[in-house]
Amino acid sequence: MSSSVDEPLDLIRLSLEERIYVKCRGERELRGKLHAFDRHLNMILGEVEETVTTPEIDEETDEEIIRTSRRTVEMLFVRGDVVILVSPPLRTA
Amino acid sequence: MAGRLLPLELVDKCIGSRLWVIMKGDQELVGTLKSFDDYVNMVLEDVTEYEVTPEGKVAHKLDHILLNGNNIAILVPGRSPDDG
Amino acid sequence: MSDTSPAGTPAATPAQGTSAPAAAEAKPAQNKKVTEFLKTILGRPVVVKLNSGVDYRGVLACLDSFMNIAMEQTEEYVQGQLKAKYGDCFIRGNNVLYISAQKRR
Repeated sequence: MSSSVDEPLDLIRLSLEERIYVKCRGERELRGKLHAFDRHLNMILGEVEETVTTPEIDEETDEEIIRTSRRTVEMLFVRGDVVILVSPPLRTA
Repeated sequence: MAGRLLPLELVDKCIGSRLWVIMKGDQELVGTLKSFDDYVNMVLEDVTEYEVTPEGKVAHKLDHILLNGNNIAILVPGRSPDDG
Repeated sequence: MSDTSPAGTPAATPAQGTSAPAAAEAKPAQNKKVTEFLKTILGRPVVVKLNSGVDYRGVLACLDSFMNIAMEQTEEYVQGQLKAKYGDCFIRGNNVLYISAQKRR
């Protein structure tokens, strides 16, 4: 990680205008371009792909099926308190 | 107020001794209290972590942790869940 | 669980100090020890456990008074199974249960 990361939020700052991965509460994942954020981790993401994972029980076989649904959103606001993890794109040298 | 022990003073007296921490939810930890702050975030050493899983209670050993005070429910000085 | 309350230094809110002044007086040295612990584990491999039970193993890059964490070479374990890897990652402090480090031998 570059030496310009003194505090954790610097990592987010370095990801501005880059595509990031955001893991949210409720088995919700977002991938999108980070346009803005604040210290609460409220974020504006653009060209977002949202993935929601829900476990379902197959009533016949009693097996658990993991169902994922995807959708795309042009622009959205994420409230900081649902954020669990943020990962910037892999920067390969 | 004279002679009354404030809650955090009790925690202060536990420094250096074993402490049983019961979290909100299904987690419990036992460790030696090294230090804490006003939020009762704690540094614990030689920790055993107990987790309730579908297979029953599982114990893990940890050397050295900083425990977030946010989700602590109960502190029991000098005892552990194994004491019955 | 409150998402807005910081998990960090008492500088942010004096609420506890006013309700327990005697304990607060005894405190500065203790606070320093918590900070010292943090300094000693920077740059070292750590396990961060979240309240959800998910573990993150990686190298601790930095953290702040909210227990927000930046980690490198992070691996995500759900029920002991490796689920994902992240080069760099940021974990929001309110989700953190503990940060664990191996003792230096």
